[in-house]
Amino acid sequence: MNEERSFEDAQRELEEIVQRLESGEAPLDEALRLWQRGEELYRLCRERLDAAEGKIEELASRAETARP
Amino acid sequence: MKVEAIDYGDRRVYSVGAFNRGIASWLERLPTVWVEGEVTELRRQARWASVFFTLKDPADGACLGVSMPRGQFDGLRLELADGDRVHVYGRPELYEARGEFRLRALSLERFGLGEHLAALERLKQKLAAEGLFAPERKRPLPFLPRRIGLITGNDAAAKRDVLTTLTARFPPANVLVGETYVQGPRAAGAVIETLRALSREPDVDVIVVARGGGSFEDLLPFSDERLVRAIADCPVPVVSAVGHEQDTPLCDLAADARASTPSVAARLVVPDLAELLQRLDRARAGLERGTRRALERERRRLDRARERLDRAPRLLLERGRARLEHAAGRLRALSPHATLERGYAIVRSDGAIVRSGEAVEPGQKVDVELAEGGFGARIEETR
Repeated sequence: MNEERSFEDAQRELEEIVQRLESGEAPLDEALRLWQRGEELYRLCRERLDAAEGKIEELASRAETARP
Repeated sequence: MKVEAIDYGDRRVYSVGAFNRGIASWLERLPTVWVEGEVTELRRQARWASVFFTLKDPADGACLGVSMPRGQFDGLRLELADGDRVHVYGRPELYEARGEFRLRALSLERFGLGEHLAALERLKQKLAAEGLFAPERKRPLPFLPRRIGLITGNDAAAKRDVLTTLTARFPPANVLVGETYVQGPRAAGAVIETLRALSREPDVDVIVVARGGGSFEDLLPFSDERLVRAIADCPVPVVSAVGHEQDTPLCDLAADARASTPSVAARLVVPDLAELLQRLDRARAGLERGTRRALERERRRLDRARERLDRAPRLLLERGRARLEHAAGRLRALSPHATLERGYAIVRSDGAIVRSGEAVEPGQKVDVELAEGGFGARIEETR
């Protein structure tokens, strides 16, 4: 359950970072740190979406193929 | 009851009567139950002690003979007609004289659509009172399910609708389909079993129950108390998409989310991938824009600091000059000359300022200083 939780959290954190950056209140060193963290989060989210490959399976046939 | 047998050598043989008695006494041990069916072939005669009819299963045509004491039957005043739906409370028995098996009715109730709805309503009230449908019980659906369990019949439409919408909206979706009975007396048990099996599968973190529309009776299994409870107890969130908009099977109320159609259920379960990617890219653009802006702001601040640094020496000089002029002004105001201007005079004797009449004597020479020039003088008298 925590993998997709982390996707949602990562997306939310990313958007909060953008908001903070765009508010123009972050001093430079914080801005650079935020940018780095934001890029990391973006990559994390993209990987989660790009890595997944759709699969449709049947419960019954799975049970059958599971049998020796 | 003891059943006597006759032994012919090594063969043990029962008379028909003894056999029937044995079966009858064995049947008597069975419990009293409710049986539902349609009344057909009602036979009632004034000279008979019992009334007879056949109970027929509308789903598969299975038949069961029923008998009921005539006085009791008449007392109910049911005025049953062929095809009327009834519930019979009774126990199995054998009519020994003819070896005929039948249900001995102890009680009989008409059970039409109205009674059906009333029973459903009672069940609904009972489960609601237990808090099974309470909004605070509803769990949020996962944002990005790793795997989606799908329960459908081999009724292709509902299954196709869900799968088409799921894959169109979110191509990376993983679906585990549990096909099962979604109609008839076996449906409730079969759906419960599939629900449990799917919830035990690894990574399944949401389950969709999808069934197309149908008659009131077709959808009855989805109001079965056992199924409603199984959905409420399911360890992963359940989306119910059963029947059409106007149907509200009880499983809809117990599920964590309810969808009016199978494709609506699919939309509830996965996000729109294109929208998600767009949102991510927008965030990334904002990230760059924000950082660039912070950098530019910092550069401007540096530029301003430098300008101020350049101006600093001139500023310091001007401030010094101003302070000097201020001091000169105060000095001028305090000098004795200003006092003499107002009409005062300074009297000196031998260079020392005379402050008292006692410091001089008559005839002594003194020097008087005025604002403009001065003069010498001699003392006339002292006071």
